[in-house]
Amino acid sequence: MIEVKYFGAVAEKTKCSLETVSSSEVSLQKLLQDLEEKYQFESLSFSVAVNQKIVSKTTDYSLKTSDIVALLPPFAGG
Amino acid sequence: MNASSRYNRQIILPEIGESGQHKLLKSKVLIIGAGGLGAAILPYLAAAGVGEIGIVDDDVIELSNLQRQVIYKSSAVGKYKVEEAKAMIAELNPQVKINAIAEKLSGRNAIDLFENYDIIVDATDNLQIKYLINDACLITNKPMVYGSIFRFQGQVSVFNYQNGPTYRCLYPDENSSSANCTDAGVIGISVGIIGMLQANEVIKMILEVGEVLSAKILVYNILNNEQQKYDFEKNTSFYLDRNAFEEKYKTVENVSDEIDAAIVLNEIDSDQVLFLDVRNVDELPKINFKNGIQISLMNLENEMDKLNSNQTIYVYCQSGIRSKIALEQLQKKNFKNIKSISGGALAMNQLLKKESLSN
Repeated sequence: MIEVKYFGAVAEKTKCSLETVSSSEVSLQKLLQDLEEKYQFESLSFSVAVNQKIVSKTTDYSLKTSDIVALLPPFAGG
Repeated sequence: MNASSRYNRQIILPEIGESGQHKLLKSKVLIIGAGGLGAAILPYLAAAGVGEIGIVDDDVIELSNLQRQVIYKSSAVGKYKVEEAKAMIAELNPQVKINAIAEKLSGRNAIDLFENYDIIVDATDNLQIKYLINDACLITNKPMVYGSIFRFQGQVSVFNYQNGPTYRCLYPDENSSSANCTDAGVIGISVGIIGMLQANEVIKMILEVGEVLSAKILVYNILNNEQQKYDFEKNTSFYLDRNAFEEKYKTVENVSDEIDAAIVLNEIDSDQVLFLDVRNVDELPKINFKNGIQISLMNLENEMDKLNSNQTIYVYCQSGIRSKIALEQLQKKNFKNIKSISGGALAMNQLLKKESLSN
């Protein structure tokens, strides 16, 4: 189980702040691709963290069970 | 007035002492934005005895600001925020020197302004200006204390602290968009909490105590009190020097892309101009133009064929932020006569109300 957390405008789009993905052996890129297909983030930009650390979206990182992925968009209010 | 009795309760903290108080007195902090975040940060820095505080904002106070911008009085609606803030601080702590700067921060004034201060606080409400603040901090080698809000969530970080990572290392995509408070809605408490966390970072940097929130972003959710810190690293591939800065912000600031709400309203009954509302269908106030169309920003890319690329089109949204994004999208598709209405539907609605009162 991989946990995915959503923040800000991304969470508005997914309509939840947390979900679990049951597949274990999956690369970060593939996971992001699947989420993009599911939620159509389109112009929404966000940074991606794995286990509380921001990583490059293009990293070839293979996620392990119990990894926590977070999608962090920039906020603009003030 | 006796300075040490004013500050006694913090001077007796071992982390501060007389020497810490002296550091506060000698420090100069520039706050960009006198809105919700600025209104939280400013009084606490001033009360603590920060020697000199500059505050940059060219806005006037509106009634709808008062639920979160708590330093302003109802009687001050229509007055410049920075002037009111200065008057408020003069009563709170006359020992603090306040520089009220009623200007818009731009590529033209940012570097000169920043050079006069030790710490720059980002209390603004749009993404483009955060890149400008970040870049001007890089050029002038100043730390940037970042804070921002999306509804009930907030983010805080300190960029460019002792050569640490910057806003661009966290969010490299400069062309992204995010709704501000006018567009997304906000409660005063969330800007208050985030502003307070920013003020705390400023004080820690000045006093050199604790751990500065550098290379980390704090994300706070006031609905469930969850807060998390995420680490990020410096991206060394981005380099900016003074010339590149000048070049970049010379071209970006194309003010002629914007048009004033008052000028636009003269053409409200014209069929020569198409008024394009890029808000969502249910957003109020509605404005009745003879020749108007609604296509929300989200759908614009797909529904552009409804528009004629040679027609004069005035784009508007609630406050003028989404319309600028729409304008860029249209310009990329070779639309030639596009302007974004500054202040958006809110500005136009206010003018229309005034007009109907005077008639």
